[in-house]
Amino acid sequence: MLRYILKRILQFIPVFIGVTVILFVLQNVVPGDPIKLITGEKAVSPEVELQLRIANHLVKTQEFPILDENGQQVYDEDGNPQMVKRAVNSKGEPVSNSKDAEPESVWDRYVYYISGLLQGNLGNSYQKRRPVADIFLEKYPYTIRLALCGIVVEIIVGIGAGVISAIKRYSFWDVLVTLSTSILVAMPAFWLGMLLQLLFGVNLKILPISGAGANSAFPEYLHYILPAITLASVSTAYTARIMRSQLLDVMNSDYIRTAVAKGLSSRKVIVHHALKNALIPVVTYIGIDFGSMLSGAILTETVFNWPGIGLTIYQAIMQRDWPIVLGGVSIICIVVMVISLIVDVSYAFLDPRIRYGASAKGGK
Amino acid sequence: MSQNTFTMSRRSFIAGALATGAALAMAKPSIDASVAFANDAAVDGGTLNYYLTDPVSIDPYNVQENQGMQVCNALFDALTTYDGQQGKLIGKAASSWEANEDATEFTFHLREGATFHNGEPVTAQSFVYAWNRLCSPLTDPENPSVVSYHLSMVEGYDDVVAGVKGATLNMEAKDDYTLVVHLSFSYADFPYVVSHLATAPVPESAASDMATYQWAPVGNGAFKMDGKWESGQYIKIVRNDAYWGDKAHIDGVDFKILLDIDTAYLEFEAGNLDNTQIPNGRISAVAAQYGVAPDGYTANPGEETLLGPEDSIYYLTCNNQDKIFSNAHMRKAVSYAIDRQAICDTIFEGTRVPADNFITPGIAGYEAGAWEAAKYDVAAAKEEIELAKKDLGVDSFSIILNCNSGSGHEDIMQLIMANLKEIGVEAKMEAVEWASYLQKLQDGDYQIGRLGWIADYPIMDNYLYPMFYTGNGDNRSQYSNPAVDEALSAARAIVDDAERIAALQKVNRMIAEDFPVIPLMFYRHTIVCSNRVNNLYVGSLQMIDFTKCWLSA
Repeated sequence: MLRYILKRILQFIPVFIGVTVILFVLQNVVPGDPIKLITGEKAVSPEVELQLRIANHLVKTQEFPILDENGQQVYDEDGNPQMVKRAVNSKGEPVSNSKDAEPESVWDRYVYYISGLLQGNLGNSYQKRRPVADIFLEKYPYTIRLALCGIVVEIIVGIGAGVISAIKRYSFWDVLVTLSTSILVAMPAFWLGMLLQLLFGVNLKILPISGAGANSAFPEYLHYILPAITLASVSTAYTARIMRSQLLDVMNSDYIRTAVAKGLSSRKVIVHHALKNALIPVVTYIGIDFGSMLSGAILTETVFNWPGIGLTIYQAIMQRDWPIVLGGVSIICIVVMVISLIVDVSYAFLDPRIRYGASAKGGK
Repeated sequence: MSQNTFTMSRRSFIAGALATGAALAMAKPSIDASVAFANDAAVDGGTLNYYLTDPVSIDPYNVQENQGMQVCNALFDALTTYDGQQGKLIGKAASSWEANEDATEFTFHLREGATFHNGEPVTAQSFVYAWNRLCSPLTDPENPSVVSYHLSMVEGYDDVVAGVKGATLNMEAKDDYTLVVHLSFSYADFPYVVSHLATAPVPESAASDMATYQWAPVGNGAFKMDGKWESGQYIKIVRNDAYWGDKAHIDGVDFKILLDIDTAYLEFEAGNLDNTQIPNGRISAVAAQYGVAPDGYTANPGEETLLGPEDSIYYLTCNNQDKIFSNAHMRKAVSYAIDRQAICDTIFEGTRVPADNFITPGIAGYEAGAWEAAKYDVAAAKEEIELAKKDLGVDSFSIILNCNSGSGHEDIMQLIMANLKEIGVEAKMEAVEWASYLQKLQDGDYQIGRLGWIADYPIMDNYLYPMFYTGNGDNRSQYSNPAVDEALSAARAIVDDAERIAALQKVNRMIAEDFPVIPLMFYRHTIVCSNRVNNLYVGSLQMIDFTKCWLSA
C-alpha cells in the first residue's frame, strides 16, 4: 500500500507540471500587456510603468550598487553594500523606460513562478495588489468549512434517502425521493440558493442571506445552512440515486439471499452485508465531489457572498487577474490529486479484494 | 461666460436628466423637505449599514476606485475637499491656501489642533512624509503605487518615482502648520488635486508598518477604524470624537462587503443594508416603490432613489492619425448619426444620459450643448459625410468599431453600426480582450473605439488636459492641436477661478470644433437607500460625507 501511495505521489509531479505549463503558456499566449490590467484605463507615468514591470518580473533586472553624491558605494548599518534592482537592456545596461528594457522570457518567468510556488510564493495579484498566497491562506479556510458542511449534508441526506428509497421500494418514500432528486438535479444550484435566500432570509428572516458570519446579527453557524444546502443539493440527489440503485443491485445478489436464508435480520443484512458493498461507487462519487467542493464553488460562493476561493477565482477571471487564476488552479490541482488518492486508498478498506501494490499474479 | 449662465445651464441639464427618474417616482408622495429634513431635526446615534464591493485599497498609498475612496473619505482629511452641496472647494486639513502669481508655488495653512486617530498632531511634515511615501517605489518595491500620478506636477516627482537615491518631492514644512509645495509648471487647479484622498496625510509612526497599516489605516478624518478590514467581508468605522470639525450624527458605518449586486439587493430588501446599487432591469420598479430624490443626490425618507448624473462619461475615441478619422467631418458625421437616447433607453433603462459635451454636468464650467455635433441629427450626419467624402476623395466608407469584449459594449456597438448604416457607412465590429484592447488603443492600431473617463477631481482641466494635450498618456485619440495646447497651458496658469473656468470653456469649445472624440453618454447614480436614512448626499463624484447624514429612530 505504501508503495502504491508513493507511486501515486510521484505521478503527481508530471501531472502538476503539465497543468501549470499549460496554464502558464495560455496566460502568455493571451495577447495584451499585464501592466494594462494593473493600471486600467488611466495612463501612468513611464517611471511608474517601469517599476510595475520590475515588480511583476516582466523585464530583466540586475542589482546595481547604490552610490552616494561622490560616486562611492553606500553601505548599510551592518556594513553590507546597498544594492538597487534596476531594469536592463539586452546589453545589461540599466534603463529608465519600459521600451528600452529587455523583456523577461516566458521560460524564465515560468521558472520563477515554479520556484516561487515551491517556496509558497505565488506572486502578487494584479487587482488586489497583494501576495496571492496571502489571499488564498485567508480564503481557503472558508471554502474548506463550507465543503465539509456540504459533504456532511450529502452523506447524511444522500445516503439516508438512497437507503430508505431502496429498502422501501415503490413506497411513498421511494416516490418522494425519486421525485425530489429529479427536481434537485434539474434545478440550477444558484437558482435554488436564491429561492432559499428569498424564503428564509427576506420573507421569514430566520436565516442570514449572505456572508460567513463575521459581523452579523445571526450566530455564525446559521450562516452555513443555506450555502451548504445549496452547494450539496445536486450532488445529494445524485448520491441518493446511486445509493438506491447500488443497494437494490446488491440486495438481489446471491450472498444476500443466503444471508436472509440463514435467518439474519433485515437490519443486519442491510447494515453488515449489503450496505458496505453498495457504498463503493457512492464513496467514489462523494470523494470526487468533495474534491470539487474544495476547489471552490463559484456559483454558491457568489450567490451567498461566501469569502472562499471559488468567489476569489471567479472575480479574478472576470478581472483577468492571472496570478490569482494561476495560483488558484495550481492549488486546486494539488487538492484534487490528493483527494483522488485518498478515494483510491479508501477502496481497499471498503473492499478487501482490492489490494494496491500487490503483484500482478494476485499475490496474497 | 458668467457664473450665472453656467449655473442655469447646469441646472437645466440636471433637471432634464432627472425628468425620467422623476416621472418614475409617481407612486410615493414626497415629504415636505423643509419640515422633515431640517438639520436641527437630526437624530444622533445608530450605525449606517453601507453596501460596498471589496476595495483595492483603503490606504492612501493605493486608493483609486470608488469603493476604497468611500472608506478613505471617512477616515482621512486631505488638504481640501469638494463640497458638492455648496458647489465649491473647501478647506479640510488646510484652513486656507494661496498660490504665487504664476501658480507654481502653493502655500497651505493647516488647521491647528487636528490630530490623527492615534493622537499625533497633523503637521506639514505629515504631508511631506505621506506624499513621498506615495511616490517612492521604495515604499513597497513589490507593489509600487499606481496613483502617484496625482502628484506628477510637483517638482522632483520624476526622480522620486524612478527610485533615485535621496530624491524627494520639492515641498517644505515651513513650520508645523505651513506647507509649501513647488510645482514644475503652472497649475492653478492644484488645490483640487490635493482634494484627492491619495494625497491625504499619514502618520509615519503607523504607516511605516505597511503590512499592518493597509488593513487598519490610522487617519485624521471624522471616523476611525474599528478593528481591521476583513477582506471580502466588512470594514467597520466609528465616529472620531476627537475630530476637529463637526462630529458625525451617526455612531459609525458598517461597510458590508458584497460582491454580487443581486445578493446585495436581497440584503437591502431584508433590511440588512441601508443602501445598495439597483440591479439592471429594476430601476423603474425601485423608483416607483421607494421614491426618487428631487435633486438626484440626497436620500431622505420617501425620496430614496438617487439617479443624479455622475462625473463620468462613456465616449468613442477616434484615431486622429487614421486616414479616415483624421477628418473632422467624418468624426462629426459618426457623432450626428448615433441615436444616444435609444442606447440609453434600450440598453441602460434610462440610467445613462445622452452626452452633449465632453465635460460632465456636475463640473463647474459645463455648458450644455458645447459640443455641438454631440447630438442625434441624421440630416446633419449626411451633410458631414458628404463633406468627408469630398475631402478624402472617396465614394463610400467602411470602418471598424473596436471595443473590449465581454462587458456589454458589443450591444452598444451593434446599435451604432445600425445607425451608421442609415448614413451609408458600413461598419464592422472587432471586440478583443481588455488588455489587448488597451494595447491597441495605445499603439494607435484602431479607427474608432470605446472608452470611459471618470473624473479624479471636479474640474474641467481633469477632462481637457489628460485627454487632449499633445502626447499625454490618456490622449489615445492622438489628437494634437498646438493652439489648444497653448491655450490649455495658459489657462492652467490663471489663478482666478472664474477667469480660469472661462478660459477652459474657450479651450473646450476649440476642441469641440475639432471634435477629436465622440461623447456618447453620461453615467448616472443607480442607488437606493432605506427609509431610515436622512440627508445622505452622494455627490456626482460618488463621494459621501458621512458626518452629515443621520438615521431615523
